[in-house]
Amino acid sequence: MEIVNDFVYQAAIIIIGLTAVCASLGVILCSSPIYSALYLIGNMVCLAMLYLLYHAEFIAAVQMIVYAGAVMILFLFIIALLGGKKELQENSLQRTIAFGFAGLLFGELLLAATVGATKPIEGIFDPINLKVIGGAKAIGLTLYSKHLIPFELASILLLVATIGVICLAKFPLKQIKKSLNS
Amino acid sequence: MFYTWLILILPLLGFAGLSWFGDRIPKKLVGPVGCATVGGSFFFTLIALIHLLSMEPGERVGNVQTLYHWIQSGNFTLDLAILIDPLSVFMLLVITGVGFLIHVYSIGYMEKDPNIDTFFAYLNLFIFSMSVLVLAADFFFLIVGWAFVGLASYLLIGFWTEKTSAVFAARKAFVMNVIGDVGMVIAAFMIFENFGSITYMDVFAQAPEKFLANDDTMLLITLFLLVGAFAKSAQIPLHTWLPDAMEGPTPVSALIHAATMVTAGVYLVARCHVLYDLAPYTMMLVAAVGVITALFAGSMGMVQYDIKRVIAYSTMSQLGYMFLAVGIGVYSVGMFHLMTHAFFKALLFLGAGSVIHSMNDEQDIRKMGGLKESMPITYYTFLIGTLALCGFPLTAGYFSKEAIIMSSWYAEGSNPVFWALAIAGAGMTGFYAFRVFFYSFFGTCRTAEAHPHESPTIMTYPLLILAFFAIFAGFGAPLAHSFLAPVFGGVVPEHHTNGFLEIIAVGVALSGIIVAAIFYAEGGEAEGKSDGLKELLAPIHDVLFRKYYIDELYDVLIVQPVKKTGEFIWKTGEQKGIDFVVDEVGAQVKEMSRLLSIWQSGKVRIYALNMIAGTVFVLIFVVFL
Amino acid sequence: MGSQFVLIVSASIFCIGATGFLIRKNPLVMFMSLELMLNAVNFLLIGYSHFLKSLDGQIFALVVMTVAAAEVVVGLGIILTIFRTRHELNVDEIDALKG
Repeated sequence: MEIVNDFVYQAAIIIIGLTAVCASLGVILCSSPIYSALYLIGNMVCLAMLYLLYHAEFIAAVQMIVYAGAVMILFLFIIALLGGKKELQENSLQRTIAFGFAGLLFGELLLAATVGATKPIEGIFDPINLKVIGGAKAIGLTLYSKHLIPFELASILLLVATIGVICLAKFPLKQIKKSLNS
Repeated sequence: MFYTWLILILPLLGFAGLSWFGDRIPKKLVGPVGCATVGGSFFFTLIALIHLLSMEPGERVGNVQTLYHWIQSGNFTLDLAILIDPLSVFMLLVITGVGFLIHVYSIGYMEKDPNIDTFFAYLNLFIFSMSVLVLAADFFFLIVGWAFVGLASYLLIGFWTEKTSAVFAARKAFVMNVIGDVGMVIAAFMIFENFGSITYMDVFAQAPEKFLANDDTMLLITLFLLVGAFAKSAQIPLHTWLPDAMEGPTPVSALIHAATMVTAGVYLVARCHVLYDLAPYTMMLVAAVGVITALFAGSMGMVQYDIKRVIAYSTMSQLGYMFLAVGIGVYSVGMFHLMTHAFFKALLFLGAGSVIHSMNDEQDIRKMGGLKESMPITYYTFLIGTLALCGFPLTAGYFSKEAIIMSSWYAEGSNPVFWALAIAGAGMTGFYAFRVFFYSFFGTCRTAEAHPHESPTIMTYPLLILAFFAIFAGFGAPLAHSFLAPVFGGVVPEHHTNGFLEIIAVGVALSGIIVAAIFYAEGGEAEGKSDGLKELLAPIHDVLFRKYYIDELYDVLIVQPVKKTGEFIWKTGEQKGIDFVVDEVGAQVKEMSRLLSIWQSGKVRIYALNMIAGTVFVLIFVVFL
Repeated sequence: MGSQFVLIVSASIFCIGATGFLIRKNPLVMFMSLELMLNAVNFLLIGYSHFLKSLDGQIFALVVMTVAAAEVVVGLGIILTIFRTRHELNVDEIDALKG
């Protein structure tokens, strides 16, 4: 039973992981931004499920609420506002080079992950820690004690971002004429 | 005694607040805010005074209030600390007390000035800097305060920036003061080299054990300190800036160039008396320069026509007396004269300001006259100030100045020459002080279109208060001496009484007054009648009037050569050498960057591509090599 | 298997995101690609936090999410502003900083 359970668990991780990769391919290959956005939502949901499988319940919830919820809604609004024009996908030198380099990067990362032996996993296996890890309480405890300063800084960052966007949106803008000689 | 920090912090807050928000609050509020901070400082100074008085005399010295350790480097430590002892509190009483009255007076005097907020911000800055200077517990903060008061003085002399002469005067004062600052810094370095510390406590404790009297090092340290003191207190040969500094607003002249800042030199010598006691030769020099300045400035003051300049020369002369006092080792006598001088000189300047104010900014005494009737309060207070300045019996000036003159006869470090010169100076003081007085208040008004009027009460009240102190402060002499005694090793200066010498001193001063009365009792130059003194002194009048040609001498000896050298270096060295190189470098860089800017396509995606390519290559290095 | 799988998946998503950023001209889609890249890193952090039994990875992921949220808000604001001033949404046309 243990073996079966473990097999199902591993299979679920692999299947969901592959779905996430496929969804991300969909994001960049669809000509219409609205489809890209939908695929991105799929990708994020897959990742959230993976987080759940990795016992990171709190992060999974945050991923769903913040990313798949708030951020993507924002994206969809902007697409709705600007009009989701289809984009012409033509082949160009730039594109070829881009594929080349991205492929190289992927190859390198793959090599690094597979050929060079990854280090054996070490960690503090604290039995009390093991049970609670990933829960909101554990995260909260760590966040408000050990990582308080990054947390506060992050909140300041959010505040600054809010103010920045308000400033961008509030003041009337002058039309910029594209100068021809530049 | 930690509240003493507030003495420093309040004016600093006032300065910061008025410079940031001064133009946003109503103009009427600016003055009261500026006064309130200084008044607060005065209040805490009074508390500190009472606190000190409640202690045993032995415990009054060496109360160092440390805020925190600021610098710790090797065996050098520097604390952010202030020193509360009778000397610093005594100085603070003068600074914040007289400063407060002058602040109040400024509300009336600067009422119509559009930049009144800046003015009060600068005044507060000055009070702060001066407090730093006197509260410093080490030579570092002494120099900080020293430089800051120079800055405040520069800003305030040149306050009316549209007046070219004011700007030049400010520059001159600043340059002269910086000469002094350099001397101070050198002295501080020498002190640190020899004592390994720059706090007063360490240095003064070690000095008597480490050095014999008239040791070379000691002489050098005291001399370099003296450069700073002479520059700040306008003693010969660094005195030329003070008369020019009268270009600033009159309250500034009263506060900075009469009552407080210029006395910093005297304070410095008194503060470092342990070092000066070890250097009798320097003390001799201090006394000699002091008495010569007293005489020299008095002689120049006798022929000037600008009311503020005459008072400025009298300030120099009185500072000379203070230096004479500290130079012959009677420190607390010098400090007491500093205090009474602050009262009556601030009174004279404020009175002069009142006169100038009512004469529509006219400063030439030849154009005044007959103000007795139209400005009674100013007239009487000015009379009191003038009498105190001359040392008329039973005024404050009499007690402090007579003490100096008597000490110059009896004290160990003195000799009868100093006494004779001091007496001569006192005679001159009587003459020039009353010359101004008769010129401005007697006779008839010599400017037809002027309508002199009494100043508003906000200006006359400070005058009345100062006049009160100018008369009665003298009776506090024994108190002041016993209060200051712990700082100066517990020595209360002997009170010398010698009826004959006193009569000579008073007689000479009175004869000065009488001579002035003979020449000018009619109110100076009446119509068609030339200055009697001018004819009498014809051979040397010009020399005196042009201030012994010292400005011209400095110009020929220092300013012009420096200017010529600078011009030469500018024309050949810079324009043909450095400029050429710089221009060529610029041109070549421009050419190169034109070629390089091809990379800068402005397209985000190409930049991103470059980034990814970079990542790829970096990864090769990181992962595989 | 476990940790290697995490590495591979996150590397794939990251490279796909990078490619997307390079080949697309629509700034919105470019932003989505950026989100992909950030998510890939988040996934790696959380996966390894699971394997190492340490919460630090999750905290870091949380901070990354915050940064991503801020970045999206500001980025979309900028895109909107650009669109309002220039009426076009092709990044290749926006080259005012050309040298």
